[in-house]
Amino acid sequence: MPLFVSADDGASSAISEANDALRRAFEAVLEAERVGANVSGLIVKLNEVGGLLAEAEIAYKNGNFSEAVSKAKECSGLADGVMDEALTLKGKALAMGQNIFWQNLSITLVESAVFLIFLFFVWDWFKRFYSKKLMKMKPEVAVDAED
Amino acid sequence: MLKIDDYKLVFMSAGLIGILLFASPTLSLVLRLPGGEKFSELWILGPEHMAEDYPFNVEAGEEYLVYVGVGNHMGCSAYYVVYVKFRNQNEPLPNATAATPSPLPPLYEYRVFLEDGKTWEAPLTFSFSYVSRFENQCLIEALIINNVTFSIDKSTAWDVNNIGYYYQLLIELWIYNVESEDFVFHNRFVGIWLNMTG
Repeated sequence: MPLFVSADDGASSAISEANDALRRAFEAVLEAERVGANVSGLIVKLNEVGGLLAEAEIAYKNGNFSEAVSKAKECSGLADGVMDEALTLKGKALAMGQNIFWQNLSITLVESAVFLIFLFFVWDWFKRFYSKKLMKMKPEVAVDAED
Repeated sequence: MLKIDDYKLVFMSAGLIGILLFASPTLSLVLRLPGGEKFSELWILGPEHMAEDYPFNVEAGEEYLVYVGVGNHMGCSAYYVVYVKFRNQNEPLPNATAATPSPLPPLYEYRVFLEDGKTWEAPLTFSFSYVSRFENQCLIEALIINNVTFSIDKSTAWDVNNIGYYYQLLIELWIYNVESEDFVFHNRFVGIWLNMTG
């Protein structure tokens, strides 16, 4: 039975794994960003990892498979680290976002209630003022224009 | 003079407007308004970071410098791959109408992660080695990009109209699409023409 051994010493699979790890890390960072997390630090790290992956790809194209494998593996490890950080950051951002939402909602409800009560008192005062003004008015006989 | 019912309507409107104003900070957390146009930028600058003094007449053994830049206006962070390709006059360019990339294999690549509204720029040095001429053909055997040597074996014919052996350094921008979980050609490409003189 023939035994097939990859000519690139597993470099292509290592690069493929690194690629997947980096994509997963980016998607996790994107999710964290969507819930309002500050991802600037993670983007810097992703750029460092992306640089490593690009170096691995170039080493592979030039037939330097051992360098490609070593860089791709380093890339996978770092990308997994970034993904973990992104997930933690997302959790924190979600919790903070919920706090901010409830805080805002409470303030809005209190402000609206105070405003409506104030408006009700103004309306009540205005109604009395309007009635008083109406009572003070003297009836006048209008001149018929046709006469 | 307005009737009391008319005044009532004015007060009710004022109440509604006031509530909307007070609720606007909370509403902004819930409602997502559509952003502006989403696009990315790709550029090449000369050695002085200006759109001038691009390398044109090139020769073997000399090193040339340009800067490649990307700008993200996609409304969120983006993952780009910038491919560097090298072509002669007869090889296909990307098709902007069909949004398809050049079928040429990329030689060098940059992987770039960018936040919305941010830009990235990196140097791109290149030089040529093993350049030969025979009859009306010019053959470049090796292209060195950022100190990495690529075997290209690319020949071009003498251009009678423009008087020279013309090649093009082509830069393509690809973007990672989260839905398809793959890179797609972003329909952005730039290039500089090079005349191999020596």
